[in-house]
Amino acid sequence: MAGVLLIGSAMAQDRRVSGKVVAQEDGLGLPGVTVQITGTSEGTQTDAEGTYTLTVPASATTIDFSFIGYERQTVTIGTQTTINVTMVPDAQQLGEVVVTALGIVRQRNELTYAAQQVKAEDITRTRDNNFVNALSGKVAGLDIRQSGTMGGSTNVVMRGVKSMTGNNQALFVVDGAPISNANTNSSNQMTGRGGYDYGNAAADINPDDIASMTVLKGAAATALYGSRAANGVIMITTKKGRKNSMNVTVNTGLTVGNIDKSTFAEYQKEYGAGYVNDYTRQVTGRGGYSTENGGFWNRSVFGETSLIVPFTEDASYGAPFDPNLSVYQWDAFDPSSPTYGQKTPWVAGRNDPSSFYQTGINATQSITVDGGGENATFKAGYTRNDEKGVLPNSKIVKNIFNLGGSYDLRTNLTASASANFTKVDGLGRYGTGYDGNNPNQQFRQWWQTNVDLKEQEAAYFRNEQNITWNWSDETATSPIYSNNPYFSRYQNFQNDTRNRYFGNFALSWKPLDWLDVLGRVTYDGSSEMQEERWAEGGADVPGYSLYNRTYSETNYDLLVNFNKELSEDVTIGGLIGSNIRRDRVNSVFAQTVGGLAFPGLYSLSNSFSPMDAPVEVYRRVGVDGIFAAANVGYKDTYFLDATIRRDQSTTLPPENNTYWYPSIAGGFVFSNLLGDESVLNYGKLRLNYAQVGSDAPALSLYDTYIINFPFDGIHQTSVGANKQNPNLLPERTRSVEAGLEVSFLDSRLGFDASYYNTTSFDQIMGVSVSTATGYGFRFVNAGTMENKGFEISAFGVPVRTENFSWTINANFARNRNKVVDLYEENENLQIATMQGGLTLNATKGQPFGTFRGVNYVYNDGQKVVGDDGYYLSSAPDQVIGDVNPDWTGGIQNAFTYKNFALNFLIDIRHGGDVWSLDQYYGQATGLYPESAGLNDLGNPSRLPIEDGGGVILPGVKEDGTPNDIRVENYDSNVTPYGYANNPTAVGLFDASYVKLREAAITYTLPSEWLAKTNAIKSIDVSVVGRNLWIIHKNLPYADPEAGLSSGNIQGYQSGAYPTVRSLGFNVRFRF
Amino acid sequence: MKKIFLFILPAILLVSCVKSLDDYNIDQKNPGEVTAGSLFANSSKVISDVLTTPSVNTNVFRLWVQHWTTTTYTDEPRYDFVTRNIPQSFWTQLYREALMDLQSSRQTVEADEFLDETIKANQIALTEIMSVYAWTVVVNTWGDVPYTEALQLDEHGQPSYDDAATIYADLFSRLDAAIEAIDPAADGFGDSDLIYGDDMAAWLKFAHSLRLKMAITVADVDQSTAQAAFNASQSQAFTSNADNATFEYQAASPNNNPVSANLVPPFTSRQDFVVASTITDRMNELEDPRRDVYFVDKVGGEYVGGVPGLTSPYSDFSHAGDRITDPTAEALLLDYAEVQFIKAEAAARGWGGDATSLYRSAITASMDYWGVGSSAISTYLAQPGVNIAVTPANFREVIGNQKWLALYNRGYDAWVEWRRLDYPELEPAQNAEGPMPLRLPYITSEYTLNRASVTEAAGRIEGGDESGSRVFWDVN
Repeated sequence: MAGVLLIGSAMAQDRRVSGKVVAQEDGLGLPGVTVQITGTSEGTQTDAEGTYTLTVPASATTIDFSFIGYERQTVTIGTQTTINVTMVPDAQQLGEVVVTALGIVRQRNELTYAAQQVKAEDITRTRDNNFVNALSGKVAGLDIRQSGTMGGSTNVVMRGVKSMTGNNQALFVVDGAPISNANTNSSNQMTGRGGYDYGNAAADINPDDIASMTVLKGAAATALYGSRAANGVIMITTKKGRKNSMNVTVNTGLTVGNIDKSTFAEYQKEYGAGYVNDYTRQVTGRGGYSTENGGFWNRSVFGETSLIVPFTEDASYGAPFDPNLSVYQWDAFDPSSPTYGQKTPWVAGRNDPSSFYQTGINATQSITVDGGGENATFKAGYTRNDEKGVLPNSKIVKNIFNLGGSYDLRTNLTASASANFTKVDGLGRYGTGYDGNNPNQQFRQWWQTNVDLKEQEAAYFRNEQNITWNWSDETATSPIYSNNPYFSRYQNFQNDTRNRYFGNFALSWKPLDWLDVLGRVTYDGSSEMQEERWAEGGADVPGYSLYNRTYSETNYDLLVNFNKELSEDVTIGGLIGSNIRRDRVNSVFAQTVGGLAFPGLYSLSNSFSPMDAPVEVYRRVGVDGIFAAANVGYKDTYFLDATIRRDQSTTLPPENNTYWYPSIAGGFVFSNLLGDESVLNYGKLRLNYAQVGSDAPALSLYDTYIINFPFDGIHQTSVGANKQNPNLLPERTRSVEAGLEVSFLDSRLGFDASYYNTTSFDQIMGVSVSTATGYGFRFVNAGTMENKGFEISAFGVPVRTENFSWTINANFARNRNKVVDLYEENENLQIATMQGGLTLNATKGQPFGTFRGVNYVYNDGQKVVGDDGYYLSSAPDQVIGDVNPDWTGGIQNAFTYKNFALNFLIDIRHGGDVWSLDQYYGQATGLYPESAGLNDLGNPSRLPIEDGGGVILPGVKEDGTPNDIRVENYDSNVTPYGYANNPTAVGLFDASYVKLREAAITYTLPSEWLAKTNAIKSIDVSVVGRNLWIIHKNLPYADPEAGLSSGNIQGYQSGAYPTVRSLGFNVRFRF
Repeated sequence: MKKIFLFILPAILLVSCVKSLDDYNIDQKNPGEVTAGSLFANSSKVISDVLTTPSVNTNVFRLWVQHWTTTTYTDEPRYDFVTRNIPQSFWTQLYREALMDLQSSRQTVEADEFLDETIKANQIALTEIMSVYAWTVVVNTWGDVPYTEALQLDEHGQPSYDDAATIYADLFSRLDAAIEAIDPAADGFGDSDLIYGDDMAAWLKFAHSLRLKMAITVADVDQSTAQAAFNASQSQAFTSNADNATFEYQAASPNNNPVSANLVPPFTSRQDFVVASTITDRMNELEDPRRDVYFVDKVGGEYVGGVPGLTSPYSDFSHAGDRITDPTAEALLLDYAEVQFIKAEAAARGWGGDATSLYRSAITASMDYWGVGSSAISTYLAQPGVNIAVTPANFREVIGNQKWLALYNRGYDAWVEWRRLDYPELEPAQNAEGPMPLRLPYITSEYTLNRASVTEAAGRIEGGDESGSRVFWDVN
């Protein structure tokens, strides 16, 4: 009854207020601004032109205008009926609303934990197809590593690695729906043993559909996600239609990419094919190469005995180039070659392998239509990417459809739904790791500098056969190790298709002013098909493999949420809810055996020999959670939050499968206690504590056997390498975080700083055990890992005038990870074994991700050489480095002058190591300039010492005096470079970099030009660039960021891809 | 408010669901139980594979005994076993696969309440014989190793190392028990017996032959045990090549002979191996008729091997023979020639028999096996380099030289016998990275995962845990 009376009395004295809201930076109407009567939930939104009309009760005195990215404004109504407002961009966004865990919207002021907002423009500005890449350098504490291949995966780790063997990828949540960011890469791929990087699944999200993004970093922010909260959450809110409006946005863009040559191999141009010149023949009197012309075969071909390039030798430690010497090279044995049967001059290849890389093209077209009527809103979007990679025969086509809408069933009951469909079709993804289908294996590790790449190209295209430089012998019928790289690209290509569906359906009911109830079902599903091939005529056994995988996650959520002002000073809020999650993975992998019966037919039934049974995986996870949260605010100054969640997971044994995750947090806006004259505009302290966790991987409890390929029809089985554990407990992370948020000088300068300390314990891990136990691994709860860190994001507006503004956003993060404890008295947990005698480990007392292997011996920081003049080796299995950077940072500058805007981002990583198999092998095979040239005496270092050659390695002798022992450098076995005579540490480099990551210039056409059209509201034209310049790095010939895949194995390069520098334009039309 | 319950009620009902999802924990695609025969079959293949493969990641003994050498990548012939972690791979396949599967097979047999007792006894005996065989390989390679505490993860996560001689003593008694237990007339593992096709009488001969081999292995350190074991089995061992313990591979991958997998198309395009000059020179000198089977591809009219440790262009040298690279080539676990060599040596040691005629019989058995005709054998036996009377003073050299030739396709056993007999006299490879290995060092992962035990064991080794140290039976 009271309500009715209230409404009645309000109606009696209603008046209408209208006006236009414009943005300060361009003076254009700002659609979607929330216009609300202060202290109530009554309000509206501005329409497409930025205008609004609001019915205001007599009791109302002020109206609030708020919009993401702008300072909140409160205007006194007085007697006005027209209120026009200019919204000022808010560098720190204090007044705005923030989307927090489970999609709960909170005022930024109330937050008691770190949450960094990222604006949609910052993600889409430079038009990267994988929006995750665009986060690099923009969020303090978020470590982004791009593997560097077309469509490849991106590693997303927040505030350090917490789980030694489990998943550490941040959780993506789109409009309340958790979205998988898993990759489907094989363990062989991730450890550099070949295969393709199929990308990370978050890349299926349409960047143009993102309205805003909140990065929830710590456990207190994410605690409501319970057993999947440990790694931080990236909350994405997609665009929504607005009532009574209609907008059309069209983007069209094109970027072209070329490799950054500072990230690719440079070659010495003095010596060609071979491992050795005439050493073998001198010693044995047979074999080897001819003494007179050291470095060549002297064999009978084309009716004469003549010098032939030793094709089999995939190294460049051979004969010195001599343009006056003609020899039979690989092309002389290709009957279709114009040089068939001819000797050609012995010179360095005119086109080195960098010419294999072509210009990549990436075209993006997108259209978004959104709007709404009185009771309903809708949006529809379509984005198409056509990406042509920098390798021949590579492309990815991505089609993304989004559909969403809401309908007010009743005044307090709204139904909403969204559906997203992404179709990704890949062809010719880049081969990775130590594999013939990665051209960089030959280019960076096993190459002959005499080969002209363009001639290889011509040879392939003459008849599409594998005319390789790496023949088995002078009959030139088959390759020994390396294919013609064009043959590999055009014949051994893969293809894949991923269909991704995600979306939600929700009913939102607001029975009372202070209470709303949300019921929601979210679904994320994908089906993938991957086909890989190996063609007849290549170095590998011809074959075909097929992988099919379906994945789904379904969540059922119920949330009851309330917010109430108890008195003028006290507000309380809270929620209770439940979540039911069901995950399912189902996959089948099969491949042909022994070759293909009919060449060129890629099907399983074409297997030459009987096939292995397909490998099937079927894993399900069910987690049920119930949770509650409460928050209290006092005088907008003191805030207290508490949450609790109980999860029950199927992956744990029934008696241990239920567990609780609490959090408690407080905020104190101390600036409210200071006078208005203070230079401090805003100041808040935050402190919180939380416990979150992680359940076990599916199927970790009970032992199983492996069924091997039968022998002549007889079954063969083997005990599995993993000893499972029926007594597992959940893995836990405990976290404390303190924060300080301040702004000064009219909010033109400020920062948000956090310190955190998290301890992850009871880790569920497959620890390696002595194989004398009959097992390789056992699942245990053990190990403790600590992450302590400091991060700060700061902003400044050095200049803000009517026509010109300059804004700086900078962030810095420093994380210190430490493996505190491992299983029982173990000192080391091996995460992966890599080629090159290297392992990646968790070592007690060290940061996670130590590289172990054989080190140099040092004396006062100088490498020590032995009596033979080569570097001494330490004992095996020493810690030689680790992957963790000392700190990371980013500096983003934005300048606006009238209609121009310039943005650029410097992305910095300082410290940490990377280990390069490319250097390990490539130095020893004599590819790089360091291995040739003149020595300290001014003579070619590759001459024998007795002829004045050889080199003296920098360092000291065992007695501490400077090294003066000369070593030979004419044969890959005696070279002091690379793997042959060095410890594992020869491949280790500092991984620091400073990059000009992105830059964009945008010109907004003056609105008066468009006024006549009546249709077009705005046109923005941008010139954009990504990965423009690596300002500083210490790893030669490669990008220290390049890796193999997302996941826990980082910092290892094998056949690394060069970085693609892209440049292009984008035009955005708004209708 | 009623509507709230419309939402909450189904949600609460669903929340209790996880309890009913027990089957989520059960792997639907991999078995929790399997047959003992399938485990036995698998372990037989693993043992055969690991001893036969020339993969430089696992088994480099053919290179070390200089039967073969490599073309371009000469690290392994130069005794670099660190880069590829070869000891680790060899160890892991023996412990974690072969021995673990045999143990699991045995436990499965023992747990089978419905199995006929005679068959059960035979099956247990077979798992024991193969286990003893695998254990001798482990001990002969490293010396002291985890034994009594091995293969029991729950009880011994960090198994201690046993004294090698003590392990050998236990292996003798396990083998004795297995020999006692076998009923030659009854069945064993049936079709799952990939070595003798369920012929238990053949297994009995194999067990006796294995006992001879173990006896001669320890002859220099424990003559009484050796002689007793020898006497107990010498009349019941192999009597012809028909008795050989063989593993017959198949034409198609993955069941082809691992030699073919690493050497010949279509399995690989690589050309990593040529035969070594050490063996070609020796066989050329003796005009050995086995050359045409052992080798292929004459260079300049003769078989020419590459010099171990130097690069050796593939087409400049001879290669392993077609019978050896045939995908269906059988692998030998133990053969008649070896038994005859053992008997010859036993005779020379004074345990009875005519050493010289047994030596000739051993060479004849090897030649027979490789298809050499009888006249060629006679010619060979008659030449001065071969026609030598075996005496207590010269048996190491005379038998060692010929056994090394006979064990051409069995690099691992050739390495064991070369270490034991110290003949033939092999020169270290060119540019050797260390001494010629006399054992494998303990694997790196033992030092990280089982440090106390392995360190204790390493401390017992005279000369330390090095490849130049000796196992207990290698006294000189």
